[in-house]
Amino acid sequence: MNLVDNFYAYLWPGETMPEMQTYGNNCNSYLVAKALPEDKHVLVDPGMVTNEARQNCLDRLISEMEKDGIKIGDVGLILNTHAHPDHYGASEAIRKMSGAQVAIGRGDDDFLKLAGGAMAQAIKEMGFEFPELNPDFYLTEGELRLGQDLVARIMLTPGHSQGHIAIYWPDAKVFMGGDLIFHGSTGRVDIPGGSAQSLKESIEQVAQLEIEYLLTGHQYGSPGIIVGQEEIKHNFDLIRRHIFPYL
Amino acid sequence: MSSNDDKIKSALEIALEKAQKLGALSDEEKYRLKDEELVAAGEALAKRYLNGLPLRDVEAELAGRAEEDRRMISHHLLQHLLDRSDIGHIGRDDNILAAIQHLSGDPGIVQSIRDLLQKYESAIEKAKQENLSALEAAKRNELESMGISGSAVEPAIETSREWMQIQQDLDSHYQEQLEQIKQKCKNLTDSTHTATPPEGRENAIQ
Ligand SMILES: [Zn+2]
Repeated sequence: MNLVDNFYAYLWPGETMPEMQTYGNNCNSYLVAKALPEDKHVLVDPGMVTNEARQNCLDRLISEMEKDGIKIGDVGLILNTHAHPDHYGASEAIRKMSGAQVAIGRGDDDFLKLAGGAMAQAIKEMGFEFPELNPDFYLTEGELRLGQDLVARIMLTPGHSQGHIAIYWPDAKVFMGGDLIFHGSTGRVDIPGGSAQSLKESIEQVAQLEIEYLLTGHQYGSPGIIVGQEEIKHNFDLIRRHIFPYL
Repeated sequence: MSSNDDKIKSALEIALEKAQKLGALSDEEKYRLKDEELVAAGEALAKRYLNGLPLRDVEAELAGRAEEDRRMISHHLLQHLLDRSDIGHIGRDDNILAAIQHLSGDPGIVQSIRDLLQKYESAIEKAKQENLSALEAAKRNELESMGISGSAVEPAIETSREWMQIQQDLDSHYQEQLEQIKQKCKNLTDSTHTATPPEGRENAIQ
């Protein structure tokens, strides 16, 4: 679904309890169309290939994109906010379909190395997938220039994972936050690499931005997208008051 | 005693019972069954050790075995640990080195593995210094040609095809040397690595 300008949102169903139960877990994906030469697209957080509810998440993403006239084969770059399988899982599969470059925060590299070793083995033995990821480049604090004139600001936003990054598009005032912040809540900090203190600091840093569209990584029973500066400011206040004390 | 050992034991017992009904097992069959049991026991113990069973508990389990069985299980355990060790991983797990030292009874073996690892690591480091900036520049050019640039971009050289090739070449060179040390280590316990041939131990299986 087109959000604004060339920004598209592909929200994983889960705004209601029955939806959450039927569809299981996967992340919201976002796309900036024609951001690269030859009208290639930038995809943020592709989600999983399949999830624990046996939903074909990637097939669904592909068909939702096609409704907007966007082909998976035209994805030129995949940006991952963090190294959790429900966000980056389909990266290598999409690379095979499109030849896209793949990127992720440098700080999650250790997590990925673990993903190739004992941790992945342990997680696989529990029946979970821990897909491979071989990034072409890492994302660090700074400017990401795409095509002729598109600029994104990459922000290091640790807390949910150590190397979590967020992507701010200043011209459109769009913020893609991964699992940093949700509607009325925040990302978990009880996963290896998580830190409550870092999460609070990251959120305070983001609260300074001028954001018109706050795009979150999951719906979790609430809208995945918060629109309007007032709404977004209200959401930050709510989280400070009702979530921070319990983190 | 692990349930694995129990299972293996009972399999042996079942085979013996069957054999008793059908007529006695030949010595070769007895020998083969016994050898299989010892290999399996060594492997099972190696797996449990890798999953966190302390060395002293491994020792305690071995101590519960007859002298000759103990030597053979310990040999198979060591063999299994060595077979699982490659140059890229052996240094990451102190447990494996500790067990190799303990089971081989030769501190020189572990020292030569550590020396080799040090050489391997400095060779990797040297190759990085020699290649990294060129590889990084090439990757930046490739990304730029795709319209991707900026201060947030840090090429991931260590997962690049070019670097993986360099690393693979170094790995196989040092892996070869590691295999020689492993072979030396296996030879150390080789004299006890198979069950005594039937003629020497007619009464070993009761
Ligand atoms: Zn996550």
